[in-house]
Amino acid sequence: MHATIQKPIDEILGYFKPGERVFVVGCDNCAAKCQSGGIPETKEMAERLKKRGVNVIGQCVPQPKGISLCKLSNTKKVLQEEYGKEIEQADSFLVLACGQGFHTVMDATDGGMVHPGCDTIFGGETVTDDFITEYCSLCGECIVEYTGGLCPLTLCAKGLLNGPCGGAKDGKCEVDRNRDCGWQLIYDRLKELGRLDEMDIYREPKNNSRWSRPRSLTIGEGEATFKSLGGELKVSSKD
Amino acid sequence: MSKLKQALESGKFVVTGEIGPPKGVDLDKCLHDAEILRNHVTAINVTDLQSAVLRIGSLAVSSKLKERGLEPVYQLTCRDRNRLALQSDLLSAWALGIENVLCLTGDHPILGDHTEAKPVYDLDSVQLLKAASTLNQGHDMASHELDSSPDFFLGAVVTPAAEPVEPQVIKMKKKINAGARFFQTQAVYEPEKFERFMDQIQGFKVPVIAGIVILKSAAMAKFMNANVAGISVPDDIIQEMAETAKEDRKKKAVEISARVIRQVKPFCQGVHIMPLGWDDLVTEVIKEAELDA
Repeated sequence: MHATIQKPIDEILGYFKPGERVFVVGCDNCAAKCQSGGIPETKEMAERLKKRGVNVIGQCVPQPKGISLCKLSNTKKVLQEEYGKEIEQADSFLVLACGQGFHTVMDATDGGMVHPGCDTIFGGETVTDDFITEYCSLCGECIVEYTGGLCPLTLCAKGLLNGPCGGAKDGKCEVDRNRDCGWQLIYDRLKELGRLDEMDIYREPKNNSRWSRPRSLTIGEGEATFKSLGGELKVSSKD
Repeated sequence: MSKLKQALESGKFVVTGEIGPPKGVDLDKCLHDAEILRNHVTAINVTDLQSAVLRIGSLAVSSKLKERGLEPVYQLTCRDRNRLALQSDLLSAWALGIENVLCLTGDHPILGDHTEAKPVYDLDSVQLLKAASTLNQGHDMASHELDSSPDFFLGAVVTPAAEPVEPQVIKMKKKINAGARFFQTQAVYEPEKFERFMDQIQGFKVPVIAGIVILKSAAMAKFMNANVAGISVPDDIIQEMAETAKEDRKKKAVEISARVIRQVKPFCQGVHIMPLGWDDLVTEVIKEAELDA
């Protein structure tokens, strides 16, 4: 899931020119779960803006239920077929979703003026309905096989690959004494799994070319191709 | 050839000191601090943006020491430079006559005075040691040949009082495999614990230089116990300091440091004295611990 949080209302208000006709768009998947851009928050945003004098001409959260705003074909279909008139009238769109959903609205409106209503903060696990936390940094080269399933790039403040620095105290990280040291977690877990010898092995530096941006994935019949500055990686899902 | 390497290889008990580059461009004070150490230490560490606070660079100050005939240990952290910059700075260091490099992870920027800085850590300390070893062998990290190569004497750090200590020991072994030929430790105040650590790493056969931080007050000890990883000042030392009148504290600080040095001396190959501002006391500590050659 892409975790998002709404931008402060004053920052959003600063986007609009006097009289600008604004259409608000939310997302029924991740932003709905984050309560930053689901159906209630999108309606509410329209009202909050109106109350502050913004010319809001409509709002929607593309359906069916639970669908991601970042699925372009659906977003385009819903916006153009169900809200065609408003889309045509709108000077701009305020998107309550992640950066991917944001760009999807730009594409779905053929290059419309789009304002970000949320900050996209991380990709995370929805641990409970009201708590989402980060376990993966989307680096393009997963190494958790060797670290007991816990990603050091994400859980260690320094992203160290060969073990802890000297900064942990009582198992807590030097950047915040309330936060677990990622390598303490990895050490404890490897020990519990009887795989502590994984820690003895030298780990090569990260291939940052696979963490380059923008990256793309092309999906074909039984295969997929990941493209980054690290080259094209084509993998079969059938072989 | 590195004097530090020679001294350690000859089995001599080594004393190293440390200076912190200033926040500004005037090197007089830090070069004066270094000058005090001349004839008392084998080498002088130069910290690299210690505590992630912006200062003049350790490469420039190490080079100035070398110019004056002092032996620097150039501290290089992974915090601020990617692998290109790290390797380039290493080559620059060698060209400036610097032979000893201490490879460290580096304190996180959030602890310093530029909290919004990007933490780099493109390499970790083990990978940095390996990169430096590769340069020694005439290649860069990407396996390209160098037209001429350095011959660094590489060091690393370890925290003997870490709890648990096992991850530190595992990483220490990786550092040795990656090319670390000497170790300097976090401050030691508990000789028995240090002895146990040294027993544990006996098979590593690598010289360990024990860290000695000159204790200024009971408050400093309590602060370090609460906030600094891998340091634990025992209660009796805190008590001893607390019972000392303010005007006698420097004398007491020298006495405690010298005592710890005498207690750890049988188990290690040297001591690394970190004065943290009380630079004028280092020579007294060395004298009181009977370390002067």
